[in-house]
Amino acid sequence: MSVRPPTLREKRRYLLARVDPAGTNPDPKDLYYAVYEGVVSLFGDMSAAAMQPSVIAVEGEYAILRCRRGAEPGFAIALSTITTCRDIPVALRILAVSGTIESLRERIATQGPVPKNEVTATSYQFDAAPVEVVQWYGHKVDVLEKGFKNTRRLFLTTEDLEIIHATTISDGL
Amino acid sequence: MKITDACVYPYPAGDSSVRRLALEAHTCGFDSIVAADTPATCINGIDVIPGIFLTGISAREVQARVKKSKGTGTVVCVSAGDNGFNRAVAGTTGVHVLRDVSCADKKAFDHVAAKIAADNTTAVDIDLFPLIFGRGHFRQKAIHRYLDLMVLHRRFEFPLTISSSTRSVLGLRTVREITGLCSLFGMDETDVEKALAGVSQVTAFEDTAVKVIQ
Repeated sequence: MSVRPPTLREKRRYLLARVDPAGTNPDPKDLYYAVYEGVVSLFGDMSAAAMQPSVIAVEGEYAILRCRRGAEPGFAIALSTITTCRDIPVALRILAVSGTIESLRERIATQGPVPKNEVTATSYQFDAAPVEVVQWYGHKVDVLEKGFKNTRRLFLTTEDLEIIHATTISDGL
Repeated sequence: MKITDACVYPYPAGDSSVRRLALEAHTCGFDSIVAADTPATCINGIDVIPGIFLTGISAREVQARVKKSKGTGTVVCVSAGDNGFNRAVAGTTGVHVLRDVSCADKKAFDHVAAKIAADNTTAVDIDLFPLIFGRGHFRQKAIHRYLDLMVLHRRFEFPLTISSSTRSVLGLRTVREITGLCSLFGMDETDVEKALAGVSQVTAFEDTAVKVIQ
C-alpha cells in the first residue's frame, strides 16, 4: 500500500510523559497495554478507536505517547488514571504535547536524565527499621524495607533517613 | 486562596512520608495538604494541616469529637452515612468537610442536606480516589454521585473540596490533571479552582464566625 500524501494523512499529537517512580523503566509493550486499558475503561471502545492511543518509545524515565489530533485532553485524562503497569505501581506525569516526536526528544535532551545522588553510607534506617536505598535524587529517596516478607517501597526524603553508625547500634561493633 | 489537597494519608497509613508528600504536592502545584495524624507544620513552603477523619460513628459522637478538637486548627472531616446522619453532620458547627459521598447511598445527600451544608458552610468533598484507582461500577457510581452533587452545588452553592485520598506519592495528581478528571462530571476550570480553595474557605469561615455587632 502506497504512503498517503501529507495532506491526506491523519494528524497526530505526541505527548511526553515522565514515568514515576524513577528507575521503573517499563517495557513499551506493557506500558501500551496499561495505557490502552486506561483509555478503554474510562471512555469505552468507540472513543479508544477514535483516539488511537499508542506508545512510541520509552527512553529512560520518559515515555513518548501518541494520539489523534484533538483527542489530547481526553487522552491526558485517561493517562492520569493509570496506576499500574504489569502490577508495578506507576504514575505518568505529562510534561509536554507536541506535533513532532523530534521536538519531544529535544525536550528530553534539555531536561536530561533524572539527576541521581550517590549513596554515601552503607546502611540507613527509617522509623527504627533498616532500609535499602533504591533511588536517590535530590531530596527524594526511595527505599525498600529490609525483611523476608512484606517488603514495600517507601517514598521518603533525606531528612527522614537516619544513618546507622556503629555507635547508634545498641550492641555496637 | 490556597490550593489544598483535602486528604492525604502519610506513613504509617501510607508508604510515603509527610515530607515527601509535601515535596511532591509542591511540584504538583499545591500550597497545602490536609494530612491525617500529623502535627501542623510547613515543609518547603507547603502548609501541612492536621486532619481528623471520622468514619462509622454516630452523630452524637461526632459532636463530642468536634468539641475536643475545637481551637486546635485541625480540619474535621466526617464520612457520609445515611440521610439523617448527613443532615445532622452538615448542621454541626465545627465539622468542616463531609467526605465519601461517592460511597454513600443515592439519596443520602439530598437537597435538604445541601441547604444545611450551605447555611453552615460545611464543605462536601470530591474524592478523586474512585476516579483514579476505581474501575467499572465503582467509578461509574462515583461519577454519577458527583454529577448529582454538582446539580445541588449549582443550586445551593455549598463549598466543595477536592482530595486525592492517596496513601502514596504516586496517587497525587497535578492541578491540570485534577481539572481534567473533574471535567468528567461537568466541573469547569473556575469550579475546580474554587473547590481546591475550599479548605481555606471553610477554615477561614470558622475564624470569623463570631461578629461583634454594635
